[in-house]
Amino acid sequence: MTLNYIVALVLGVLFGFSLNKAGLTRYNKIVNVFRFTDLSVLKFMMTALVVAMIGLYSLRGLGLITFPNIPGTYIAGNLVGGLIFGVWMALAGY
Amino acid sequence: MQKLQEYLRKDLWSPYIAGILLGIVGVLAVWISDSLLGASGAFETVAGFLGKKIAPSLFDNLYFNFIMPPGLTWGVVLFVGTILGGTLGALTSRTFKFRLFDDDKQWKRTFGPQLWKRYVLLFVGAVILEYGAGIAGGCTSGLAISGGMLLAPAAFLFIAAMFMSGILTALVIYRKRY
Repeated sequence: MTLNYIVALVLGVLFGFSLNKAGLTRYNKIVNVFRFTDLSVLKFMMTALVVAMIGLYSLRGLGLITFPNIPGTYIAGNLVGGLIFGVWMALAGY
Repeated sequence: MQKLQEYLRKDLWSPYIAGILLGIVGVLAVWISDSLLGASGAFETVAGFLGKKIAPSLFDNLYFNFIMPPGLTWGVVLFVGTILGGTLGALTSRTFKFRLFDDDKQWKRTFGPQLWKRYVLLFVGAVILEYGAGIAGGCTSGLAISGGMLLAPAAFLFIAAMFMSGILTALVIYRKRY
């Protein structure tokens, strides 16, 4: 259990480090992706997605991991939440 | 080795390199801990924990009892690590400083120089943003990235909705400068 917390802390540090180095802590990076003048956020997100998809599905194919419960699909909830989220992400920039 | 050290000290990485790092972290989180990366969930578990101490009856509902049970969860520890990691990133590039959000040039050009506007927008925005994340079941990291890498349909619905409203909002704010 303690070990699990240490793993969480280490992964958290790497997570924050990558966000900082990609510049996602800045207002202009976040808002400019919505203006199509700086696509770093998209490049960062999509690279992470592709790398993790390949990694996870390869490991599952090899029988090394089982997937945790995926986030539930509530079509209205996901869409409405996303719409609210997007407005304030563009306004406040985080 | 010299090159690597220099790269670690760089202020801004190529988003592709940073993305690869995040992707690996995402895989490790599932592999080692059977958990998903995320940020907004941590706020809710901490809020639930505090709320149950201060106003137990108010927080005694379905959401805080079952969907986001309070406590020192994996996500909370991850979140503490995220703050440390962000600080570490700023320290390595020597850009670390305490600031009052008064140096966002682009923001000032758009909304004017008044600082209180920034604070109000940040505070109100954070509350509503977290509420939106609660409805959707996650934020950019917890739902869009972590869910997306497991090919969860929810993640792609969320990404589509987020960009749709984000682009429209940016269009309204920036108008001709869009």
